[in-house]
Amino acid sequence: MTQGTNTENNGLLENLRLELRRGCLVLAVLAELRTEQYGYTLRKGLADSGLEVDEGTLYPLLRRLETQGLLASEWREEDKRNKRFYKISRDGKLVLKQLLSEWQGIGKSLEEILKESDHGSH
Amino acid sequence: MDLINRYLQAVKFWLPAKQKQDIIAELSEDLRSQIEDNETELGRKLNEAEIIDILKGRGRPILVANRFRPQQFLIGPVLFPIYVFVLKIVGAFYMVPWILVWIGIAVSRAAHSGENLIQAAGSFWTAFWPMAFSMIGSITIIFAILERVQVKSMFLEQWDPRKLPPVRDPNRIPLSNSIAEVVVNIVFCTWLIGGAWYQTALHFSGVNITLAPVWRYIFWGFVLIALFNTAASAVNLFRPYWTSVRASIRLASDLVGGTLFCWLMKANILAAMSIANVAPEKAAHIASAINWWSAKMFPFAIVACVLILVINAYRIFRVGTSVASGIALNAATGAH
Repeated sequence: MTQGTNTENNGLLENLRLELRRGCLVLAVLAELRTEQYGYTLRKGLADSGLEVDEGTLYPLLRRLETQGLLASEWREEDKRNKRFYKISRDGKLVLKQLLSEWQGIGKSLEEILKESDHGSH
Repeated sequence: MDLINRYLQAVKFWLPAKQKQDIIAELSEDLRSQIEDNETELGRKLNEAEIIDILKGRGRPILVANRFRPQQFLIGPVLFPIYVFVLKIVGAFYMVPWILVWIGIAVSRAAHSGENLIQAAGSFWTAFWPMAFSMIGSITIIFAILERVQVKSMFLEQWDPRKLPPVRDPNRIPLSNSIAEVVVNIVFCTWLIGGAWYQTALHFSGVNITLAPVWRYIFWGFVLIALFNTAASAVNLFRPYWTSVRASIRLASDLVGGTLFCWLMKANILAAMSIANVAPEKAAHIASAINWWSAKMFPFAIVACVLILVINAYRIFRVGTSVASGIALNAATGAH
């Protein structure tokens, strides 16, 4: 395999990885915000759990989820600094529950598919 | 801190007006929290290089701001393929003929009135771009309007699978084409022979025309080509598919027909002409004017012939390469 092909494959893999993570990110953010947090601690919390998100992705997502009524936010002072705190809303909790069940369903289906292909390849 | 403020100011410039303050306050807080964290970890203040690294890691201000904007487009992904298709059609059937006609005129002018070809290219350049831009611009504006009105949703929702066009086989010769070719060639032959056009001296309605001797060759050439094409089109009636052999024969016959036609244009075919009640000098002038205009049309005839030959050559190429794809299409549609 040439170096060019390797680079192309890496780029493709990175794109596919981002695509895969994009869907999971909503789920992770909603789950993480069952406890009230502000943006920076949320980002750190996600990173500590192995899901690194840059601020350019996270903050627009938080705004979108708030516009959709899944999150609620308020500006509050903490440590002498104004911070915006986010928390999951009642609608958000319902959606999170549904999304989690969907997520588990997808996981099970994938497991089945992978099991079948394992059988097929032997 | 000056660098951070400058960075935030640059991001703010590109943010949507209504949310500027809110977003910048939140980004500022995030940035300061990160710097604070790093400083706690290192046990000292960050230097300029380290702050630059953090800012660079966040990305160019315009890119950061763009993520807070809704996705915007002039023509969306649904209409875009149709937009490109319309541009291609306009390019092929309007702009390309426009360019070809212009080249014909320029060459003709250069040949007859000695106009400089570079000057001609300059006037082409100034004439072409306004035409191209206004054409592409108008189409773009129309599609941008369509994108914003409800036509798109009607187009997406109201459709009927039964109205989809049948599977098209480019190598199939339509029956109507073959019938039309047979009829046109027979009528042309009948007109040439029945009208006794093989003579070089012709008399009709008080007009006496003497044609150049070369006309005999051109005449019989036209007759033979018309008869040949009649036979070839008749075969196509019963075997309505282009094959490499038949497509090559069509290319050859069109090449001969085109050569004869171009020859006719350049041959000064009217040797003499007299018209009842018209002075001989005037009749001679008319004859020479017809010859001159015919010669002037020669570049256009060349362009038309080249176009026809290119189409023929493409047909041969298509027949040659479509065997594999034809098999694939048949397999996909279940045809045998």
